[in-house]
Amino acid sequence: MNEPTLGRFYLRALGLGALGAVVVIYLALIGMIDRFEARNIINGVLTLGVLAPALGVLIFAYRSTQPPKAWSFVPPAGHVIGAGLLAGGVAGLISAAFLFVNEAVALNAVLVNATPRMTDALTLGAGLPTGAALLVGAGLVVGLGAAALRLVPDRFRRPLVAALVAVLLLSLMEPFLRVVLLQLELPAIAHWLYEAGGLTLQGAIVTFIVVLAVRLAAEFRGNAVRERVDAMPAGQRRSLQIGALVAGLVILVLLPQIIGSFLSEVVGTVGLYVLMGLGLNIVVGYAGLLDLGYVAFFAIGAYATAILTSPVSALGSELAFWVAIPIVMLIAAVSGLIIGAPVLRLRGDYLAIVTLGIGEIVRILLLSDALRPWTGGAQGILQIPPPQLLDIEFFRPQNLYYPILAFAIAGTFVALSLANSRVGRAWNAMREDEDVAAATGINVTNYKLLAFSLGAVFGCIAGAFLAVKLGSIFPHNLNILVSITVLSLIILGGMGSIPGVIVGAFVLVGLPELLREFAEYRLLIYGAVLVMMMLWRPEGLIPSAQRRRELHESEDDEEQWDERVGAGTPPPVVEGT
Amino acid sequence: MSSAVHAQAPQPGPDATSTADDLLVVRGLTKRFGGLVANRDVDFDVPRRGIISLIGPNGAGKTTFFNQLTGMMPPTGGTITFNGVNLVGLPPHAIVELGIGRTYQNIRLFNDMTVLANVMVGRHARMKSQWYEAIFHLPKVRDEEELTRGRARELLELVGLSRRYEDSLARNLPYGDQRRLELARALASDPLLLLLDEPTAGMNPGETARMTEFIGRLRKELGLSILLIEHDMKVVMGVSDRITVLDYGERIAEGRPEEIRRNPKVIEAYLGKQANA
Amino acid sequence: MRLRLPERLSLVDVILWGLRVGVVVFVVTGSFATLSQGLLGFDSWRSLVIVGLAQGAIYALIALGYTLVYGVLFMINFAHGEVFMAGTFTAFFAATALADAGILNANPFFGLAVILLVSMVTSMIVAVLLERIAYRPLRRAPRLVPLITAIGASLFLQYTVRSIYGSGVRSYPRIDILVGTWDIFGIPIQKTQAVVIVAAVLLMIGLYIFVQRTRTGRAMRAVSEDKDVAAMMGINVDRVIATTFAIGGLLAGAAGILYVFLFNVVSFSMGFLAGIKAFTAAVLGGIGNIVGAMLGGLFLGLLESVGPFLFLSGFGVPSTNQLRDVVAFTLLVLVLIFRPYGILGRKE
Repeated sequence: MNEPTLGRFYLRALGLGALGAVVVIYLALIGMIDRFEARNIINGVLTLGVLAPALGVLIFAYRSTQPPKAWSFVPPAGHVIGAGLLAGGVAGLISAAFLFVNEAVALNAVLVNATPRMTDALTLGAGLPTGAALLVGAGLVVGLGAAALRLVPDRFRRPLVAALVAVLLLSLMEPFLRVVLLQLELPAIAHWLYEAGGLTLQGAIVTFIVVLAVRLAAEFRGNAVRERVDAMPAGQRRSLQIGALVAGLVILVLLPQIIGSFLSEVVGTVGLYVLMGLGLNIVVGYAGLLDLGYVAFFAIGAYATAILTSPVSALGSELAFWVAIPIVMLIAAVSGLIIGAPVLRLRGDYLAIVTLGIGEIVRILLLSDALRPWTGGAQGILQIPPPQLLDIEFFRPQNLYYPILAFAIAGTFVALSLANSRVGRAWNAMREDEDVAAATGINVTNYKLLAFSLGAVFGCIAGAFLAVKLGSIFPHNLNILVSITVLSLIILGGMGSIPGVIVGAFVLVGLPELLREFAEYRLLIYGAVLVMMMLWRPEGLIPSAQRRRELHESEDDEEQWDERVGAGTPPPVVEGT
Repeated sequence: MSSAVHAQAPQPGPDATSTADDLLVVRGLTKRFGGLVANRDVDFDVPRRGIISLIGPNGAGKTTFFNQLTGMMPPTGGTITFNGVNLVGLPPHAIVELGIGRTYQNIRLFNDMTVLANVMVGRHARMKSQWYEAIFHLPKVRDEEELTRGRARELLELVGLSRRYEDSLARNLPYGDQRRLELARALASDPLLLLLDEPTAGMNPGETARMTEFIGRLRKELGLSILLIEHDMKVVMGVSDRITVLDYGERIAEGRPEEIRRNPKVIEAYLGKQANA
Repeated sequence: MRLRLPERLSLVDVILWGLRVGVVVFVVTGSFATLSQGLLGFDSWRSLVIVGLAQGAIYALIALGYTLVYGVLFMINFAHGEVFMAGTFTAFFAATALADAGILNANPFFGLAVILLVSMVTSMIVAVLLERIAYRPLRRAPRLVPLITAIGASLFLQYTVRSIYGSGVRSYPRIDILVGTWDIFGIPIQKTQAVVIVAAVLLMIGLYIFVQRTRTGRAMRAVSEDKDVAAMMGINVDRVIATTFAIGGLLAGAAGILYVFLFNVVSFSMGFLAGIKAFTAAVLGGIGNIVGAMLGGLFLGLLESVGPFLFLSGFGVPSTNQLRDVVAFTLLVLVLIFRPYGILGRKE
């Protein structure tokens, strides 16, 4: 343990602490801390406005407590605590210094969020001289926490982190779960667990203890449930799976009755993105074609539906929704072929840009006066009738939920079936090495077109539902950001992974709808998600079985990836998304 | 290649003088890249059940020749007739369907797919189920999958890859096993003609000997014709019926191994250079 | 040699040929109709061309950033438009401060120099940070990974600026010396347009000399040939790449101020369209090719300015100006499909 190494170790902690401060200042300047103060995590104890910067610092402080492997230096416990305290303290100190500077120079003229409100938010209303001390103290506490987390043995740390994450998630789910509990006539539980938009203290503590206990038991005695399932005979396991599937379906079917109109609407929107995610996943995740113009299909579906069904459209056919849908699907498949054919021979990154261009062309054309007689220009098309089946009009969100659910389930089924077939294998091979795939007997052109067309059909169905959901359709909400949202949710969930698509849609589309504090930072968060996933977890949160195997088997690769990222600065991010 | 393959000396092939019924007939094949001529006016035949070697110094245009046979590169001029069908202008997948399979000089597997999936992809051209059938899990799709899986396992066994590797990713196999896997993938398309691009590159003498035997066995047991690019003269001389020598894209010699061994042009262009190097 | 059989002409070929013919017929008949109806007089031609050249010069400057980065890293720095935006937006605050203090119009050259410097330095810093944080760790990753990262970075930068500087559209203060027109060879040209064209050309010449003549320029060319060999020859590849990003950033920052001369307003979302168009210009000239990017920019500017009216008004299409961006995007799509190596470049 020579001195220079120790010196470098502390110097590194200093630098990481400074980066932590950069995160805190960044969050303050984009106004996030102030905005997030309004969201309770644990009522009376912790708000998201405190948690977000604290987590930012925690990550850096935690990192500072372990030197890079290349140093071959294992710091003793004392120095681990020292580094954590240093990093946290420095982060607090710099943040405090920033507040003083702000007060002296009035940065507000340039930085719209550098207001007294920001100072209040960062110092928890304590004002400056006192608040600065508070910030440094908070930094030290976070640093100490980071060191403690490092010193705890692995088998305790994992359950600990899991329990903390569980508390956070349960708290963020408040807008959803509280309504569910109340609708289920369980107001006692709802009041006991939730209060003022966050968890109650007792709710948080109990959740923490329960999750901790369960995970600890799993760490020490093995995962009993998993083992018992694994030990079952195949037939029994299969019936268990079917049982779980049926239970899940029953919940999904009953959901809108439980959650009410507003949440049904939100879930419906998530459903649209699940559909689009499934479609784009075929194109990007399976076939490896990065399509940034996916919104074009969404738009084509929406407009085709509107023109076919609306009484005010130029066509005036006024078809029923269910008659229109097959026609829309046909239009989708053909448009997939038409857009796909010319771009097939392009290299990956050029394909991305060309499709982006096509998406924009479609949008501008819809907006222009040139196509006004058919598409209505900026005024769009109005009076799109809701779908009707027998006597039921799918007008209310609770009703419209069902056809969306049906299509999402069918879509999942289609995507899964294809993935595990000759077709899916061909796509995979093509994604890995197009030339060799062709020389192995795969008709690359046809399989690319197939991927494009199927993706287009999914996108167009989602578009059709958008049209009937809104009752009118305008070009404004059909821009490149839709494509990027869908891409982000696929990347977050894991390319090629269907559960990933569903989780990604709920997190990236559902959550911002529920938590208004997030809504403003939605696109910022998407950007951060894309960058961070690519840097640290390119396989996504829920990797497909194949990607998981890649990860599992090539641990070397993963280590290399870590090495390369090294002391890279993560862009600031909202934790808990 | 493994216990599955018993050491057997390759049988001398059927007499390999060119006949009208040759499996592969190449006439006047020329490939230019800008000003560079990679193949100039090459004539070439592979008789049925023949083992033919293509040799020549690095950069002589051997791999380019393969790439044109498999449709990965369009020739600038000339004809390629396989089993009576003109291959020029056909896309690679159609050529696979006609019955040509290949391996690559630098192994090119689908690295992030499993070993079994790699072989099953190789079988793609011989499978019939369509995407709309796959969506509905038709019984015939399931049957075909099962058959393909079984066939893939047989092939893995044939090339000597253990069953326990079948779920590993191709990238994680050791080098020699990757070569075997590539061979299994090529065989999965039931080729009539197998193109092997330096199959023993990077192998030790023991492995090379087993590979040589295995190539002989492929002809004997599966009735394949084999076209081989190889640098190892022991392999070439041991296994080939006839040898063609390319230098600077031109065919400078063609004949039986013993003729080639004595051909002064070849010694100068190829062996001579190698001896000097 | 046997003739290619018809069945060997694939469906995709047919569609591509149809597209080619369709575009040519469309452009030719449209132009003919417009011209024969006399819809485009000499004066409108002249002003459209000047506007197009000025606009194109700006595209060219931004395009250089794409082309330089592509030259050394073979990646599309999708976030380059945001680099341009960040500098321009930041310089807005310097400009208002100078204008409020009365310096901008009392001492315009000093004032403009300060604004230009602020814009260029900010863009440079953003570009260098972007490379260091988001791209460097991914240098050996599969091709699509850096592209997705760049898209994310673009979104991230755009909405960071929105949150930090505010979401409104801001107008730069008036710069008196740039108001009015000059007569050049009897042709009245707006001062702003003349300044933009001249400044952009000077910057491009400067860059060309830098890349061809200086040590760093040679190192950049070596890195773009082969990174490993360059590293073996003692070139610090990381530093050269960072320098490349820095130069791209400086040019984008300068382009931003010229953009302001023409359009006066800045907003957080201005980078996207400018970025895409500059990328189009870069591809048009053959990506990686510096002279190509300059010519591509000018060509795109001209086409975008003249094209919508020339091609479309003959067909009686209303408000052709709305379709400016369609012309640019269509050009992008067509170039990438038919000549991905650019108009100047050669196949392979």
